[in-house]
Amino acid sequence: MKPAPFTHHRPETVDETLERLEELEDAELLAGNQSLGIVMANRLATPDHLVDLNGVDELAFIDVDDDAVRIGAMTRHRTIERSDRLAETMPMLPESAGQIAGPSVRNQGTLGGSIGEADPAGNYPAALAALEGTIHLRSLDGTRDVPVDEYFIAYMFTDLREEELIESVSIPTEPFPPERTGMTFLELKRAAQTFPTVSAATSIRVDDPTADEPIVEDARIAMANAADIPLRVEDAEAHVEGGSLSAEALEAVVETVSSAVTPESEMHADRDYKEEVAGEYAKRSLETSYERAVATET
Amino acid sequence: MLEFTGENEMEQSKEELWPYFTDTDILAECAPGCKEMTLVSPHEIEAVMAVGVGSVKPEFDVDVVVTRADRPDVLEMKAVGHAPRNEFETVAQMELKENASGGTTVVWSATADVSGTIASLGGRALKSVTKRLVKKFFSKMQAKADEGVEAESELEAAPEEDATLETDD
Repeated sequence: MKPAPFTHHRPETVDETLERLEELEDAELLAGNQSLGIVMANRLATPDHLVDLNGVDELAFIDVDDDAVRIGAMTRHRTIERSDRLAETMPMLPESAGQIAGPSVRNQGTLGGSIGEADPAGNYPAALAALEGTIHLRSLDGTRDVPVDEYFIAYMFTDLREEELIESVSIPTEPFPPERTGMTFLELKRAAQTFPTVSAATSIRVDDPTADEPIVEDARIAMANAADIPLRVEDAEAHVEGGSLSAEALEAVVETVSSAVTPESEMHADRDYKEEVAGEYAKRSLETSYERAVATET
Repeated sequence: MLEFTGENEMEQSKEELWPYFTDTDILAECAPGCKEMTLVSPHEIEAVMAVGVGSVKPEFDVDVVVTRADRPDVLEMKAVGHAPRNEFETVAQMELKENASGGTTVVWSATADVSGTIASLGGRALKSVTKRLVKKFFSKMQAKADEGVEAESELEAAPEEDATLETDD
């Protein structure tokens, strides 16, 4: 099918975009067009207006300073995947970006699009949940900073208001000193370029990577496609904090994560299976993060 | 079959609120995603509504029949909606009860049969979405009542023989 008729708007600044959002009835924002176009072609959405953000250059940036990593909403997956600065400071992000769908989607798709869509199977939502990111929203009334755990409310439902747009996302760097932190984004996929069955975003900071048995100071675990929102599992983090990632601690993680997740059954993976692999992938992801944290060549 | 229930506190009395809940112009402005609403007869409404999650908002052609209208206590409607690849049927009831502070507690409940893309979201997702939409509806309604917008009661219950909905299938 073809989409229902709509009027296309192409503003060049954030302010102009916000004015359009305010004045137009029934408008949708268009970012990288890797989801909305398909939805509209199937007539599952019929907005009267599309406000195209592809001309708003001020929304595409990656800034890393002493306090935080900040990424603009219109930054493409490809740009995040290939950013050296992010690879040094927040490697989970390039790693999660590099595993999204296929190359053509990564060339066009954007950070803001993924977070705006808020599919709990998406990569950035889980990565941001693990890293305790903040979503920066803007409207004509000003800006609003929403912590990730308040932003995702339900399946494809967020705290974003109709007259707001996602400006950027920021992550504090202080909890993740590169010389003693390891992080990874691990997906289980049944086939290349598809949505993951389950993903595990984890990070580990150790006290001393050169010690015989480095102790976990801080652990982060968040799961994708395992609930109706990206799911942070703090109860499981507690099992490995304060120890050296023992087999017993990891077993406890597997159990806690398996019982914390509430996945929906899919055609190729029923609920029981997904609960089981969620626990297993949280464990494997943590093992990799720990290995990276204690590897002395940073 | 999904079941939804909830309560909303409103500041005005039952008598004051009744016209708002039974005026199609007001309903059209408060119903989430409503693009058109037409009063076909005192007990029939036709509407076009875009409802869904995120950017997935199919446009439903909705036919509504009022099955009970006991002013100012109970309003009940049946509705059938058709959209590309989506369908729903619902019976929704609203009971207005006086509360201690002189306002009104609106107790609402609905049962729904949903099929198609939206149904594949699963019951949990649908419930959280419904809750949000209903909250939005009541807060818009409260704003209208606070502003004291003109409202006129237009709805009455359908006679027995009209209280069933025609379905195409």
